[in-house]
Amino acid sequence: MDYRRVFDHVFGLQLWIAGGVFVVVAGLLLGALVFNRARRRDKLPFAAAEHNAIEIAFAVFLGGAAAFLVWLSLSNNHRLDYGDTLAVAQQSGLPAGQQPVRVDVTAFQWCWSAAYPGSTTTVSGSCATPADRPVIVVPQGRPVEFAITSRDVAHAFWIPDLALKRDAYPDHVNTVLMTFPETGQWLGRCSEYCGTYHKDMDFFVRAVPPEQYQAFLQTGSLPARAAA
Amino acid sequence: MTATEPRAAVEEPQPTPRRVRTTVLAWVTSTDHKRIGLLTLGTAVVLMIAIGALALTMRAQLAQPQLDVLSPDRYNQFFTIHGSGMIYLVMTPFAIGLGLYLVPLQIGAPNVAAPRTTMLGYWLYLGGAVTMLSGFATSSGAADHGWYAYPPLAGTRFTPGPGVDLWIAGVALAGLGMLLMAATVLWTALVKRTRGMTLLRMPVFSWSVVATNLMCIGAFPSLLVAMGILAAGRIEPDLFTQNAWNIGYQHVFWFFGHPVVYVMFFPFVGAVAEVLAVFGARRYFGYRITVVSLLAFAALSMSVWGHHMFSTGQAENDYYSLTSILLLVPAGLEYFGFLATLLGGRLSFPTPMLFAVAFVPQFLIGGLTGIMIATPAVDYQVTDSYFIVGHWHYTLAAGSLFGFFAGFYYWFPKATGLQLRERMGKAHFWFWLVGTNATFLPMFWLGLHGMPRRMASYLPQDGFGTANLIATLGSGFLAVGTVIFLVDLVVSVRRPRRAPDDPWGGFTLEWATSSPPPPQNFDPAHPVPPIRSYAPLLDLRPDLGGGRGRR
Repeated sequence: MDYRRVFDHVFGLQLWIAGGVFVVVAGLLLGALVFNRARRRDKLPFAAAEHNAIEIAFAVFLGGAAAFLVWLSLSNNHRLDYGDTLAVAQQSGLPAGQQPVRVDVTAFQWCWSAAYPGSTTTVSGSCATPADRPVIVVPQGRPVEFAITSRDVAHAFWIPDLALKRDAYPDHVNTVLMTFPETGQWLGRCSEYCGTYHKDMDFFVRAVPPEQYQAFLQTGSLPARAAA
Repeated sequence: MTATEPRAAVEEPQPTPRRVRTTVLAWVTSTDHKRIGLLTLGTAVVLMIAIGALALTMRAQLAQPQLDVLSPDRYNQFFTIHGSGMIYLVMTPFAIGLGLYLVPLQIGAPNVAAPRTTMLGYWLYLGGAVTMLSGFATSSGAADHGWYAYPPLAGTRFTPGPGVDLWIAGVALAGLGMLLMAATVLWTALVKRTRGMTLLRMPVFSWSVVATNLMCIGAFPSLLVAMGILAAGRIEPDLFTQNAWNIGYQHVFWFFGHPVVYVMFFPFVGAVAEVLAVFGARRYFGYRITVVSLLAFAALSMSVWGHHMFSTGQAENDYYSLTSILLLVPAGLEYFGFLATLLGGRLSFPTPMLFAVAFVPQFLIGGLTGIMIATPAVDYQVTDSYFIVGHWHYTLAAGSLFGFFAGFYYWFPKATGLQLRERMGKAHFWFWLVGTNATFLPMFWLGLHGMPRRMASYLPQDGFGTANLIATLGSGFLAVGTVIFLVDLVVSVRRPRRAPDDPWGGFTLEWATSSPPPPQNFDPAHPVPPIRSYAPLLDLRPDLGGGRGRR
């Protein structure tokens, strides 16, 4: 699933709406300050306590706005297949070459490791310096199912540029489905606070062409001049 | 004085007024809601300064990449105590303490119901605060698991040491204290109103406190259960090897944790509403719809907790998104009241009004970003990032604290009989206006660009330096503004200028009595005036058209 595109769509729309609301409220506020009746001392301030027709109309309008925003929220959450394993079941009808590839990601204090079912290849690192960050290799163009868990405390698997995030818990596996349409390398972070070196828990996710991915699964490392 | 005695005492003159004792012992054993309220508010102000200083240290650490002002462990202790302290020990006591001081006055009651239980609440709160902060005196330092203390991190396997134990005990004590205080104030508002003070003649502030305290009653027991789970897990560490307990803790904790966000917000909505009406010289507009909104908001707030857990993969995201977004309806109606009161008012701008007016757009930023993060598709990206930090600092610091200061400057002359200095108050306001926006606006950008929250430092290549530097400079403005606020307090006490009983031309009953009010709130020289609406003193003001308008 393309989390980034959905995020950009929903967040962009909400930003426009929020900007509009802010301008209207700030405008009314400024209007009240500028056309302050204190400048016309002979006029009494309004004494009305309420106006039920306007209030009810406004409540109905707010209800409509809420309905729209709820629809926006829920429909896009469904586009992300609720971000969970349901997606994998729905994808099972896909042809052999398009079946999701599973990557088992394990968080620990304070780094990440990855394993590939059906292969002896594993990825790990210490995260102590940027050079020690693990690089989780995934195939480009095929759905990838990250199965995320933790060995100790709660962490969170976050790739900011792809707008992908899921928490990692011990004694529980969260899955999240993602297709990498192009090759490349993205920085990942831990976003759930997890102790002293939480700040250092950075990793990379690297999408490579499928044939390089197969080589990676067999040899445990990428060809020397693999596409990045 | 006992709780059953006062009603008679209000109506019949006392032959010899009781001498008011002012010793420390008299204060900490008082049964006067005003004293207990001032103790609570005063303690919370002192803690706000101390806990705010932790945040300034953190901002110094983050000003540039890879600074070494604090070690990672010390940084983690600071953000934990900053968050927990501000929530459990500062903003919640502000909210409940303000209600404790004002509600009996506003409804014409001589005292709070069950004053000894209320005082016990203060002691528990003070004991909790001392207990939590004493973690800094232990060799392993204070708790460093964040203000919501998720297991297994908060268990003994990953965070040994007494800091966490003290934190759990402190939160439980302070939480129980706040629960007791909220309960007695709610009781007061429901059964101790004076003659003529019907429910729909209670001022907006008192209504906001009723809604607040209802949420406290619903939410705080859940906090105590959550602390019990943590304590049990620290005794039996295997508990937190099971996902059911870890995620169960989150559900129990947030069942408390979300309503408490509105506990730290509602009384300030009420304070802002009072201030806007009085300095708009008009009746608050939309009173009944505001009351309905407050109650609906409080009810709905009990159903939204799971929106803190969208990325856990273990919450029913659609449901919590639905209930959370629906909150915009009561929130929008409250804003309708603010704006409609301002429009058509005859406005004047002393310090309380400045804070109240700024509250409206600043809290709005917190509210609008709140709808964004109530949307799972957005929250998956921004949760646990600095976007969230920006969001709730707009609600709490740029929002609720502005409401608190509006109330503080507004009611200070009533509570003390002293005037604050207007020019220092205004300087405080402008420094805070610049400071809050400069500090918290860059945080949205940081979150969207990938900075996780709770980072003890970051690398130069992360590209977070400039925005963090702006935020740190902004926090300097907050520090200067706070110093001005403290100087203002000291000057006003050391070189006192007497405040009249009603310096602002207030509309509610507390302005009908003396400043400070007598022990039983109203006496023969200051009787409760006739009450015909939620603005009884406005009804007596023909110069403002007080006789007109709907009651």
